[in-house]
Amino acid sequence: MGSNHARNLDPGNALPKLALILAWLPAALRADGEDSIAFFESKIRPLLIEHCLECHSTDTKQKGGLLLDSRAGWETGGDNGPAVVPGDPAQSLLIKAVTWADKDLQMPPKRKLAESEIAALKEWVKRGASDPREKPALASAAAKPEQTKPDGRKHWAFQPPSNPPVPRVRASDRVRTPVDAFLLARLEKAGLGFSPEADRATFIRRATLDLTGLLPTPEAVAAFVNDPRRDAYERLIDDLLASPHYGERWGRHWLDAAGYVDGKIDNDLGTVIPHDGGWRYRDYVVQAFNDDLPFDRFLTEQIAGDELVDWRKAAAFTPEMLRLLTATGFLRTVDDHTDADQYGIEKRYDVLFEMMDQFSTSVLALTMECTRCHDHKYDPLTQRDYYSLMACFEPGYNVHEWKKPKDRFLADISPSQRKEIDAHNAPLDKQITELEKQVQAAQKAKDTAREKELTAQIEGLKSKRRRYDIIQALWDEGKARDSHVFVRGVVGRNGDPVAANAPAVLQSAENAFRLVPDAVGPTTGRRLALARWLTQPNHPLTARVMVNRIWHHHFGRGIVETVGNFGLGGTPPTHPELLDWLAGEFVRGGWSVKHLHRVILLSTAYRQSSRQDSPAAQTADPSNRLLWRMNLRTMDAEVVRDAILSASGSLNPKRGGPPVAITKPGHGLSEVDAAPGSAQRLIGPKTEIQLATGPGEEFRRSLYLFARRNYPLKFLEIFDAPLMAVNSTQRTSSANVLQSLALLHSAFLFDQAERMATRVQKSASAGDRAACITTAFTLALSRPPTAEEQKLAAAFLDRQQTAHGGKGPDTETKALADLCHMLLSSNGFIHID
Amino acid sequence: MHPDHVPVSRRRFLAGLGGGFGSLALGGMLSEDASAAHRPARARAVIQLFQNGGPSQMDLFDPKPELTRRNGQPHPEKVETFQLGNKNVLLGSPFQFSRHGQCGMELSELIPHLAGCADDFCLVRSMHTDNNNHPFALNTMQTGKVFNGRPAMGSWISYALGSECRNLPSYIVLRDPAGYNTSGKLVWSSGWLPAAHQGTEFSATGTPVAHLQPARPLPEAAQKSARDFLHDLNTLHLRQHPGEDVLEARIANYELAAHMQLEAARLLDLTGESAATRKLYGLDRPETAAYGARCLMARRLIEAGVRYVQVFPPLKPSFQPWDHHSGLKSGLQSICAQTDQPSAALIQDLKQRGLLEDVIVMWTGEFGRLPITEGADGRDHNRNAFSLLMAGGGFRGGHIHGATDDFGYKSVQDRVSVPDLHATILNQLGLDHTRLTYLHNGRPERLTDPEVTGARIVREILG
Repeated sequence: MGSNHARNLDPGNALPKLALILAWLPAALRADGEDSIAFFESKIRPLLIEHCLECHSTDTKQKGGLLLDSRAGWETGGDNGPAVVPGDPAQSLLIKAVTWADKDLQMPPKRKLAESEIAALKEWVKRGASDPREKPALASAAAKPEQTKPDGRKHWAFQPPSNPPVPRVRASDRVRTPVDAFLLARLEKAGLGFSPEADRATFIRRATLDLTGLLPTPEAVAAFVNDPRRDAYERLIDDLLASPHYGERWGRHWLDAAGYVDGKIDNDLGTVIPHDGGWRYRDYVVQAFNDDLPFDRFLTEQIAGDELVDWRKAAAFTPEMLRLLTATGFLRTVDDHTDADQYGIEKRYDVLFEMMDQFSTSVLALTMECTRCHDHKYDPLTQRDYYSLMACFEPGYNVHEWKKPKDRFLADISPSQRKEIDAHNAPLDKQITELEKQVQAAQKAKDTAREKELTAQIEGLKSKRRRYDIIQALWDEGKARDSHVFVRGVVGRNGDPVAANAPAVLQSAENAFRLVPDAVGPTTGRRLALARWLTQPNHPLTARVMVNRIWHHHFGRGIVETVGNFGLGGTPPTHPELLDWLAGEFVRGGWSVKHLHRVILLSTAYRQSSRQDSPAAQTADPSNRLLWRMNLRTMDAEVVRDAILSASGSLNPKRGGPPVAITKPGHGLSEVDAAPGSAQRLIGPKTEIQLATGPGEEFRRSLYLFARRNYPLKFLEIFDAPLMAVNSTQRTSSANVLQSLALLHSAFLFDQAERMATRVQKSASAGDRAACITTAFTLALSRPPTAEEQKLAAAFLDRQQTAHGGKGPDTETKALADLCHMLLSSNGFIHID
Repeated sequence: MHPDHVPVSRRRFLAGLGGGFGSLALGGMLSEDASAAHRPARARAVIQLFQNGGPSQMDLFDPKPELTRRNGQPHPEKVETFQLGNKNVLLGSPFQFSRHGQCGMELSELIPHLAGCADDFCLVRSMHTDNNNHPFALNTMQTGKVFNGRPAMGSWISYALGSECRNLPSYIVLRDPAGYNTSGKLVWSSGWLPAAHQGTEFSATGTPVAHLQPARPLPEAAQKSARDFLHDLNTLHLRQHPGEDVLEARIANYELAAHMQLEAARLLDLTGESAATRKLYGLDRPETAAYGARCLMARRLIEAGVRYVQVFPPLKPSFQPWDHHSGLKSGLQSICAQTDQPSAALIQDLKQRGLLEDVIVMWTGEFGRLPITEGADGRDHNRNAFSLLMAGGGFRGGHIHGATDDFGYKSVQDRVSVPDLHATILNQLGLDHTRLTYLHNGRPERLTDPEVTGARIVREILG
């Protein structure tokens, strides 16, 4: 992340591209006199933007062939010749047009400019028409990609992955998997090599946190450290991959990319509109990783699961149908405000636009949001590409036959079964609504007896209702209409018509987007076509993007550092051959994610120590791009909380199901709320949503806490849990003071430290202080204390007992809890070595 | 105490910020010498009195005699409305305007105290913005664009300049403890800038910062001894990992946490302020006491070296206190009665102390209101015109910039966009808005994004 998030106050340090964007600036500075430029900037530029560019820019209609978005535009002029004659307002067509002097040339056509504006234009022309805009500032549907971006199509990420041979290296004794050969080849070229291996205790902690997001148990550490078998590492990795906690950790990574939330809308702290039943998609993802569902299949199910089976006609859903429909929850994570009546069709398109952001950054690792309004500034992606890709999703989010979010769901039973239950419930609901009105009347009349009677009746009716659960799915709905490019991204301002398609630059003869006839049921099959195209073995992006994501989570930095941007604006790969080899290996291995973990985790590279022990390497490659050592990493927010729970022994390993609520106090310091009635407290008195409650639920893994878009559990937010404005392809990792305060002072830490102290006391023989210290260190840091640490800890316990009021069993426990607390707050705990 | 104490190296931190592994987001926390200004600064700090909801320009700052004269007549052109229920009928202001200060600025009777400061602030009457819905307009005012998830201006400033204070975060938010504004903390989010640059919520009552004090009672001696032990553990750990900036940063953060624990409590304690000051801010009256306390705390925080303080108005009677779709007259009277005196007191107090020279005070909402009638007696949202006040920090006191049309519907003369305003504020802080850049997903992002927004410095509003 270093350079990606570099502080950059000086363009001298910036990427060359910055210079490109700033191209007009130097012109502005060298122009004929500061004053005339200032005049242009203050008076003329805003005026042109406000009144003229809508029709006279490269982005738009270019009425009369005239462009007013650059100097060259008006110099060349339109159908009637140059628009401005500098210094001579009387001869300038532009002035003639805005003064409405000529009946056939009146601009702007609908409303004449204000006199002050006309005067300003005249003044500008008179002064020589200074205009620093060397090229259109607002970019350019008309700019021809092949003219402005000669190399765009040749960008590495748009070529199919090559099939590079595994290189030979001198230090062949250090090659465990081909990964090592690729890395060593680069290191040796720089005169460097791998660092020594980390010790086994460090390794098991690293691998366990990476694969499961939890700490290894002291028993597991001891067993691995003392395992004499030759394949001890292979066995460890296999065991970890087989753990059900593996899917919880790696599911979390994917859910970041998907932008998963349990609360659909929460722009303010107080309002939570739940994404009812959305958790089924979360569980689907976890299970897919645990089952090692081939990644091509995983993508296909999420994009077009509904087009793989004929669920519409099913008498009853098979488990497979349920699974496939649930998978499309991937396309249902974005914000949707259309339940409110005040919004028009733009708000519907907003849902599609956001979904496009989510899809393009997560699956394609391309930033396409800008192509909504204009062709991409860096990448050979056009506005047409954007709307063609969007056309794949439009039948699902059919703006012309819109389903509001409250109606956009499937039942977990087949349509025919649902129809039957709806028919059963309808009269009951009618009666209930009627009775509720009477309750209100009774309340108004203060007739408590009547109110009680009515309430009892309502309860009786409610108990007769039959219910089904909700799946948040996407399916094609209604008649698919023609799609268009929206000029400058303005909804309804139709440009060229477009058909469903994938971005042109990503297609080749072998890898073309084709509408395939194998979609099942009355559906367009556009999404299935998209999925089929994405998962062709030689697709330039799909496999590369995923292997890079996996690499990023194991080494703390991707081979392509910008995990969500493989375009020209992203960073180039540090090891392009390795990236391609991994992508190929991924596909050859049947798109098995677990296979890829093995290839990476069983390498020497992954076993290296993180210490900066080699001065030569430190000088040659201080930021460790060549991976001459392991990177020291900070735990993700969820891992911090889950690791604390596993050290204290409180963790409730229960898997899946409805989420556990969090509170929403006015001061913002939310906490886990597992007490009965939490749904009403979080969402409102009338909600029927199910949330997990009861003893021990507050100690579930962080994955299972109610995920709010903007207000995640405060403790997680402090540790950089992402806000899901749309999604998160790459988390920020910070070290800020709020984290220190949360570790030192939060009730959560005090409570967990106390529990951990009790656990320590139970496991060590009574009064054996040295054993207590050893156990505490092992629980928190997965290793025993050094002699120096043992001494410091013993002295601390003495000191602390005195501070708590002198010797005694009570203060012994308090002191031990403080010891545990500081261990859980220590750098050794929250960093992965 | 700590023979192994590793001195914190600021240069190393900054190096880490630039090229190291992981973004060490402590810049704003420790960087008392971090000022990375591009040019000499005219101002060093900003206080934003954020009057969210959409204050009505033609009832507060922008007198429209023609509107009053044609009260009840139709508006001559189609008006862009937000809600249903608008009538295309002009609604004159029920409030009187009169001239104030040596500059003779015309201001409404609603704001007698602010009017007393007319010579100290610049009134911009020609603001305009992109969207007439609160969340998007709030995003624009705070982040320069309508989208969610971009960094707030305060975060950019914190990122660029750091804090002048060892003991406090550089960007602090003071809101009504009763709740959030309509977009909540999105309006002080650091977006993709490191999290240390997000607004840190301080409460003007109760605990000022999340987790500032231990959640369980702990004797002071035990706290200190525990911190010492933690320091020892971390020092030993660092010895195993020499050169890891992130570890040094965390060690330093624990020291900052201890300082904050003391400092924030001291800052919260307003009892040391003179009776005259307390009265000035209206702490003696229930109407003004809560918002007054926030304004006073803002001054104390700025004095202590904080870069950016964002103060929110009271949430009563509405959580969007300036959003008068109905009951315009009584609604404005109520919110002005709560905010006018403390807002003016802040300007006066800063001036008395010589602080107004280099502290910018901005009084702004996210958009304005329409000249036509909504319902019986309300005004709907207006993105095409609104007014705001800029005081101190080199802004031109007693000056009126720009103008709206006869009815206050559209800014027509010397229009100022929100990115223009941002560019101008950055300029006063010594920052070049075209060069304050952060690489995000490969794109060099800026607060003002001038090629897209056309942002420029508005020199006419500077002194």
